[in-house]
Amino acid sequence: MKEIVTQLITAFLGSLGFALLFGLRRRYLFVSSLGGVIAWGVYLIMLAWTDVGFLSCLAAAAVAVVYAELLAHGLKTPATLFVIPAILPLVPGSSLYYAMSSAVRGDLLSTRDYGAQTLAYALAIAAGISLVTAVRQLRAKKP
Amino acid sequence: MKLTRKQQSALLDCMLEMGDLLLDSGAEVSRVEDTLTRMGKAYGARRMDVFVITSIIIMTMEFAEGEGMTESRRIQTAGETDFYRLEKLNALSRRCSVTPLPLPDLRKELDRVAAGQKPFSMRFWGSVLVGGSFALFFGGTVWDGLAAAAFAAVICLLQQWLGRTQINTAAFNLLISLAVGLCVGVVTGLIPALHMDKILIGDIMLLIPGLAMTNAVRNMLVGNTISGAVRLAETLIWAAALAGGFMVAMLIVQAVH
Repeated sequence: MKEIVTQLITAFLGSLGFALLFGLRRRYLFVSSLGGVIAWGVYLIMLAWTDVGFLSCLAAAAVAVVYAELLAHGLKTPATLFVIPAILPLVPGSSLYYAMSSAVRGDLLSTRDYGAQTLAYALAIAAGISLVTAVRQLRAKKP
Repeated sequence: MKLTRKQQSALLDCMLEMGDLLLDSGAEVSRVEDTLTRMGKAYGARRMDVFVITSIIIMTMEFAEGEGMTESRRIQTAGETDFYRLEKLNALSRRCSVTPLPLPDLRKELDRVAAGQKPFSMRFWGSVLVGGSFALFFGGTVWDGLAAAAFAAVICLLQQWLGRTQINTAAFNLLISLAVGLCVGVVTGLIPALHMDKILIGDIMLLIPGLAMTNAVRNMLVGNTISGAVRLAETLIWAAALAGGFMVAMLIVQAVH
């Protein structure tokens, strides 16, 4: 439990850090960073429920984008401002690291596992975002 | 609005500048195409053909029958995401799509956006916060978090310094990861209470092209296949350079211990 709380708080701070790093305006900082908490929260819930990392990550990215699009619509700003900080906690930094460190140790089996996991998560995030884009395109008519 | 040939050329110039700035601030390829098309129509083009990939913009505006004009711009820099500019550009293009600004004004506005940049302090504290938070996020102790935050500050300064040179992104990643890997290796060797893996994971979040990679795959999934494929190849090379730098650093640290 303590772990989950730590993760959610640091997901917020991490997203906040990225929002700052990318020069987001002060008044959007809070809502934008909240997106990271939502994404990670959805990921944890889906993971507990389905036990499939790929699917959980995809769902989390999709929910994060819906949240961002709604905000962007309300505030009349580009959605990217909220999408990017929100999905960053999902980026598989740790599996990339462990893939590298096991490669250095010469443990090719772990390298492969961690490497595949890294790619799968990157794909899941992209697919989650694209899914929302596709649904939105369905609703828009040809010009 | 009826434009002379010279004005048309000036307009194309302004719009290419707009596209360039958008890409340099980290806008999506499809978004750039969309914005330029809409703006061109607002300025009286009957037909707009815009093709954008991350390294070039090609644009043809057709004002009347047989009155087409094509210009292109090579994009050199893979800019880092800049929400500050992105928002300004978005507001400008929205404004122009409703009531097109006169050309000299548009030029002035674009120059203003190009000159303005997010303050360095935001970048610095953002980096520190990212490094520290993600070290904790991935299971590090508070001390790991503090160490990662300190190294993130070093990374930010290194990025600032190397960013002024002509160095390409792959070499940049290789150098920076080698330097950071060695620093962290030495410090964790001296202070055994710190965990090298957690610190590096926190700081990797600042360096991995996770965002660029996600965007590349996403481009391919929504139909911008060429752009996505080019970008994906680039980001894989960057990631490999990054991994290479860290791995060499780890091997050196291992050999010393």
